[in-house]
Amino acid sequence: MSKRAWRYVFFSLAILIGFAAGLGYGWLINPIRIGGFASPDNGTSLDALPIDYRTDFVLMIAELYQAEGDLPLALERLDLLGKQPLTTMTEAITYADSLNYADVDLQLMRNLAFVVQQFIDNTD
Amino acid sequence: MLDNTQEIKITPTQPDDRVKIPAPGPKRSPWYLLTGLVLGIILGLLYAWLINPVVYERSTPAALDATGKDLYRGIIAQVYAATGNLERASLRLRELGDEDSARVLGAQAQRLLAEGHVTEARALAMLAAALQDPQIPPDTIEPPTLLQPTPTEAPPSIPTHTLPVPTSPP
Repeated sequence: MSKRAWRYVFFSLAILIGFAAGLGYGWLINPIRIGGFASPDNGTSLDALPIDYRTDFVLMIAELYQAEGDLPLALERLDLLGKQPLTTMTEAITYADSLNYADVDLQLMRNLAFVVQQFIDNTD
Repeated sequence: MLDNTQEIKITPTQPDDRVKIPAPGPKRSPWYLLTGLVLGIILGLLYAWLINPVVYERSTPAALDATGKDLYRGIIAQVYAATGNLERASLRLRELGDEDSARVLGAQAQRLLAEGHVTEARALAMLAAALQDPQIPPDTIEPPTLLQPTPTEAPPSIPTHTLPVPTSPP
């Protein structure tokens, strides 16, 4: 093989080694938070929680709304989950329904969803 | 002596048999290897961060950052204060993975009280108290009071010898 060909081989090897190092850093040492997920070492935020915990969080917000009747506060709490409040509510109710949550809990979430829907309709 | 003399024939070497010495030219440095390495690292990071990032499917409340845990704990406590359902509150708190939930709740109550969030602090203190003694009805729990640092007795003044200040120049 000519000297020029060897240079291409070494250049390709260097790229491969660099690529592996980049992957190692990007996946293991310092994984970046994309799509709402992050390394547990760095700590996640509430919007990174999976759907089961999100649903329970929504249920807690609905329980609090039932007790306080404070819609702006409920919306503020729903905002913590990162998505549009109505989207968050819909996802949670769908998930809770699929897992056969207690009727009382489902009703609480539906009540809040209804009020949120009304609020959004009035705002638009 | 002369009889032992041997004739040595030296044949001139052919031009092709000579050792070839490369002609001096521009020497290639290994910088291209470093360039390849840097290029690879950039490509690797782009792939790992943008194209195919790590996704942790099972993030739990225990993996939340400090702010997230405080928020989660605060909501649990307020729900407990509103519903009085200690069993559900305990189950939710367990997901946070605190070693001593009552102590953590108490500490958070103190912090919030110092910041002026009385309602949430009260809810946290109620839950902390209920965890320590589940027989206590929630309504009978006293609202928390801000812990004040205990005043320490001032050390007695120690008389020191000082030189007399001259009132007039010598």
